[in-house]
Amino acid sequence: MNNTPRVLNRILIGILGIKLLAIGVLLMLLASVPAVGVWWHEWAGGVLKYWLDLFERTQFPRHQGSWLWFAICGGLVLVLALMVAWVAQQGKGRTSLIAAEEDPGGVPGNVGISGGVAEQALRAALADRPDLAGVTVAAYEIRGEPALKIRVEPRQGVAPHALAAEVSALVEALDAVIGKRTPVLIHIGSGTRSRFGRAERVR
Amino acid sequence: MSQDTRDATVGSGPNDAGAVTESGMPGSGAAGMARILKRETHSSRAVVSVMAAALVIVVCGYALLETAVRAFGQPPWLIDPQTAAERAVALPAGIPPLLLGVSGAVVAMAGLFFFLNAVLPGRRARHLLADRRAGVVVDDEVIAAALARRARLAANVTQGQVMVIVSRNRVEVNVRPTSGVPLRPDAVLEAVRRELQDMGPSPTPEVRIHVATSGVVGA
Repeated sequence: MNNTPRVLNRILIGILGIKLLAIGVLLMLLASVPAVGVWWHEWAGGVLKYWLDLFERTQFPRHQGSWLWFAICGGLVLVLALMVAWVAQQGKGRTSLIAAEEDPGGVPGNVGISGGVAEQALRAALADRPDLAGVTVAAYEIRGEPALKIRVEPRQGVAPHALAAEVSALVEALDAVIGKRTPVLIHIGSGTRSRFGRAERVR
Repeated sequence: MSQDTRDATVGSGPNDAGAVTESGMPGSGAAGMARILKRETHSSRAVVSVMAAALVIVVCGYALLETAVRAFGQPPWLIDPQTAAERAVALPAGIPPLLLGVSGAVVAMAGLFFFLNAVLPGRRARHLLADRRAGVVVDDEVIAAALARRARLAANVTQGQVMVIVSRNRVEVNVRPTSGVPLRPDAVLEAVRRELQDMGPSPTPEVRIHVATSGVVGA
């Protein structure tokens, strides 16, 4: 439900996977097939020679050493920065407001309703139910629109459709209170508390 | 004790509510909701992505260290980049073939792991339920627990004698009857089917029942 860049994840993981796979297979072939060793020696030797020539041609004008080393450093720093940026993209998209609109009345200004309102209301409504082990409510921003995710952890054996209908009725009541229909996702899941807690006996 | 009676009074509610759910439309109709549901039932690969990024960061960080040291003309920390390249070119020599092959296998396995994670659909063990207001996603574990409870009541056995496995298209109910007490598989199957029909998960799984040939003594 968050804004994790899924396509980007798949592409980058795929590229890394193919590269590692190729390197691994090459190493295994080098270890087992002598002919591959001969080919590798020729091919990689050519590549190394090309690079050594490149280093020779990129010497500093006055003192010794190639500036290509600094260029490689810069490239590596760029890759590192991109990787950090990629990690920072994971699980993004939480927001604090579930509704923010301009007030059409005479007083200028905006009205914002925090996601905490929905969270407190739903938690209070579901608090003393013995068939639930936990409730969490979070607001996310989906394509600029706020949406609510309600995660309910029932105890073992609770019928999920009945629970979903009850939570859904609460959401409809919440709609009436807030005055706006936000998209809502109800996730009925199991966690450690529902897994190892006592089972629902009568319901 | 008070809790049990409390539950019993609430008990009549969910059945009515279940009937309402069935008449409701799947999802809430909006295209945004369909996207949310698709994303909820498929893995985001966030964990694998972080692993991949960490791997690249470690390798590139080390390469950066050695390159920078070389660029400023200092002695290398572990190995000079140029020496490393020369050793790589001379590769079948200079290292025991067994070690080379095993390390190659390890690298290939890691690559295969990442590649399969990228290519496979990455479905999560979840089903969708129909609801008129909200999108509802249920973990298969919760469905299994609910069906197990229903099967246990229908078969009149204890909790440990029923095991239910829910996968995307199949529900397997395994029952070990109590020794000496006859068990009607059809009745259990019918009860589980009806519960599943009330629940209405999509995709709808098919129910199978296995009754163990050996019973449980003294349950």
